Parts: sequence; structure tokens; C-alpha cells
Amino acid sequence: MIDLLLDAYQYFLANQSRFWTAATQHLWISSAALAISIAAGLPLGIWTAHEARIGQWTINLFGALRLAPSLAVLFLVQPYLGIGTMPALVALTLLAVPPVLIATYAGIRAVDRGVSEAARGMGMTAGQILWRVELPLALPSIVGGVRTAAVEVIASATLAAFIGGGGLGIFITRGYALFDTRIMLVGAIPVALLALMAELSLGWMQRRLASGLDAAT
Amino acid sequence: MVRSLRFFVAFTTLVGLVLAACSAPAQTTQPTAVPQPAPADATPVRIGSKNFTEAILVAEMYALALEDAGIRVERKFNLGATPVAHTALVNGEIDLYPEYTSTGLLEVLKQAPIADARGILEAVRKGYEEQFQVTWLEPSPFNNTNALAMTRQRAEELGIRTYSDLVAHSGDLKLGGPPEFPEREDTKGLMAAYGFDPKFIEENFVQLDTGALRYEALTKGDIDVVVAFGTDGQINGLGLALLEDDKNYYPIYQIAPVIRQDALAANPQIAETLNRLAPLLTNDVMSGLNWQVDGPEKKEIADVARTFLQQQGFIK
Repeated sequence: MIDLLLDAYQYFLANQSRFWTAATQHLWISSAALAISIAAGLPLGIWTAHEARIGQWTINLFGALRLAPSLAVLFLVQPYLGIGTMPALVALTLLAVPPVLIATYAGIRAVDRGVSEAARGMGMTAGQILWRVELPLALPSIVGGVRTAAVEVIASATLAAFIGGGGLGIFITRGYALFDTRIMLVGAIPVALLALMAELSLGWMQRRLASGLDAAT
Repeated sequence: MVRSLRFFVAFTTLVGLVLAACSAPAQTTQPTAVPQPAPADATPVRIGSKNFTEAILVAEMYALALEDAGIRVERKFNLGATPVAHTALVNGEIDLYPEYTSTGLLEVLKQAPIADARGILEAVRKGYEEQFQVTWLEPSPFNNTNALAMTRQRAEELGIRTYSDLVAHSGDLKLGGPPEFPEREDTKGLMAAYGFDPKFIEENFVQLDTGALRYEALTKGDIDVVVAFGTDGQINGLGLALLEDDKNYYPIYQIAPVIRQDALAANPQIAETLNRLAPLLTNDVMSGLNWQVDGPEKKEIADVARTFLQQQGFIK
């Protein structure tokens, strides 16, 4: 096992420029997909939380989206978007929107009715209630959704390699094609570390926010 | 809590089963025609294949030929690349699969390339028998060697006919190929033999996992040069320019059944049947059959194999 890790490290040293190019591509594509999913999922989540009738229906629709295998999405959009990072970005964004959306929806719906009624009684406008009451209270849940999305996106961005999108997945597919575990590890270990970092840092943030709320109430 | 957990386990199991059922490749289904009755006590011969059209097509022909000879077979196709199929054979999970002579020599036995077809066959027979107790039956005549191809228009535009012509442009053309291509020993040798720009397999290499994606990228102009194989249906089908390997760098790749010796001993008829089938598969035949599957007709592999063998009068 140690030998294998050393072999993988040797391969990494011999192919550093290739590795950093792939790692940069991987980070770029994951961050872009996550940014787009937050930009889309957050407003959509707020809107669905306030529109009770449409809300449940929208949530179910996006919940179903999560069941679409990313690889199938890649191959479906490929004829229209060609090869490279674009189709991969679309597939990853589709994967990342639902967790953000559902967490936002759930976070806002969970806000105590009494609290928002009291805020309205104090003369706050709907916008003020959203910004000063609902969003702060829903923030831990939203960060939790972003955490889920980030981990899924970082792991699934390996699929970009299948369609010329680059990323760390190229080492995994190459390693598999050559039956060369060390090349596979050069892709797999950094992906696992990135996912772990996202999980831990966002998890820490979520806990901080939640405990801050407990202290405030 | 316990109830919801139980529900969760049941649900995920269900989803898993549904997915497994959906993802089972169609090629593994038994053919609709009734094979000849085989003795009830005979264990079926398990035929494997690698994971691309030609490999599955040839494996299906082997299966049909053996069934026609009254031997029961079990299809275990689409196993992955060489190492996966080879490991399955050596571990006794399959009894035979179609393999290419030079692949056996270079990738499995890790020996140096040999120029003539006869020499390659002798070397792999010797090596496989000693190391794995595996026999190579007679190879088919077609040569599915590595090749580089371009669209005719682009090749004429740049005046490229041979690999040597390509060298001058190798720093600024995009090459599309399978994931392992830049890492392969023969690729590194090719780069050195012709003096290609290293960028050609580094920054300018676009990794595309399936042949369909590679040819689509080529016709769309996303890449300029594609890693192809001599018998790819797309070369004739799409009217591509197959560049000439003017230094004859690439070795000869002929396909043949590799079979475990104990499986052959249990069923000596296999060798006779598959050796009669081998000469039918020439370059033209193979690229034509590949195109029926990969081209616009998108025919089922099993149908293409069966129709061809029936037309040849090889099976009923």
C-alpha cells in the first residue's frame, strides 16, 4: 500500500504540469457549477417557500432531477453543446441546484410562524422580514444544502473527463484503461481530499451559524 | 427512527435493483433463435470480450459459431479494456475472448514489438502458454492497427498525407483519442520515431472516451486529428483520410481467440470451429460490419453478426 502511494507520488512528480492543469480545470468547473446553482437555487428556494401551492410541486420536480444520472445528462447534452467543459458544466449544475433549492425551501419554511407574525406586527415589510428574519434563521440550512451540493459536484466533476472536459477524472479513466492503479490514485486522492475539505469547512460554518442562532434566541 | 431506517434500506435496495436491471447491457441477452440442444451435463463455454464494437462483434460471432456446432455458451461481453478481460481469463471467470496479437505481445507480455505477423503469433503463443496456460487459436487476416485520421478536407487544406507531413503541424493541431493513448509505450515510441511535438499528446490532446464521441468531435472540427483503428467503420463511412504510417512504425494487430487450455481440453471442437471462422474476417469485411453498428443504421451487434455468418453459409 505504501509502495503504491509512493509510485503514485512518483507519477505525480513526473507529470506535474499535466496534474496542475487538470486540478485547475477540476476546481474551475466545480466552482462555476456551484456558483450557478447558488445563484439559481437560492431565489427559486425563497420563491417556492412563499408560494405554498406551487412550492411542493417545484420541490418534487427538482427532487426528481437528482435521480438523473450525471453521465446520462452528459451524453444527452453533448450533441447540442459539443465536447469540452460546457456540457460538463450543464450536467454538474443540474446536479447541484436541487440540494441548494431544497435546503433554502426547508430552511425558510421552518421559520417559526410566530416570529414572522411578530415581525409583521412590528411593521416590517415583506422584504425586511426576508432579509432580517427569514434568511438569517434559514442560513444554517442553506449552508448545509451548499455543502451537499459542493461534495456532489467535486466528486462528479470527474465525469467531465469522459467528454474532453478535462479535470482530475482524466487520471482515473486513464488509470482504469491501463489498469494502472497509481495513475488512478493521482486522480482519486486529490478529488477525495477536495470533497473532504468542502465537507469539513462548510460543515464547520454550518455549525457555527447554528450555534450562533441558539445563542441569540 | 427504526421504521424510517427500514424504509430507507428497502427503498434504496429497490432503486438499486431497478437501476441494475436498466443498466444491464442489451448485448448479453440470449439470441432469440434456438441454439442446438447441448448435452444437459455440459458446462457452458463462457465467452468474454473487451468494451468496443469490434471486440463485441467478433466475440458474438465466436458465440454463434460455437452454438451452431452444438456447444452451449454464456456471453460475458463488454468487460473493459485489455487488463480487465485478460485478468478475467486468467482467473477463470471466462474461458475465451478475442484478443489482438500485438496487444498480447506489448501490453500483456510486455515484450518488444515484432515486425512480421508470423513472428508475433509465435511469440505470444509461447509466452501465453508458459505464463498463463492459455492458447492462441488461428488469427483472422484483418489488421486493426493504430492509425491517425483526419477529415479529407482538413488534410488537403494542410497538405498532410503521411505521419511525416503531420510532424510540422503537430505543435498546433488538436488530437482526440482514448484516455490511455498518451501513456502508452507505443505512443511514446511513435512520438520519438517521427519527432512529433510533445504538445501533441500533452496540452493539445483531448481525451474522449468513446469512438462515437471522437468521430463526432472530428467532424464538428473540435479536434483536427483522431486516433483511429484500421478497421473503424467511420473511415470509409465518413470518408476520412487515413494518414500513412510512412515509417511503418505501428505493429500488426490481428484478432484471434485466446482460450484457457483446460477449457479447450474439455471441448476440443472449439479450436476446429473457430479456426474455420477466422479467415472470413478481412479488413473490408470488418470495417463494413463495424459501420453497420456504429454508422447511421445503428444495428444491433447480435443481428449484424448473425446475418453476416448466415450470408456466408457458416451457420444455419
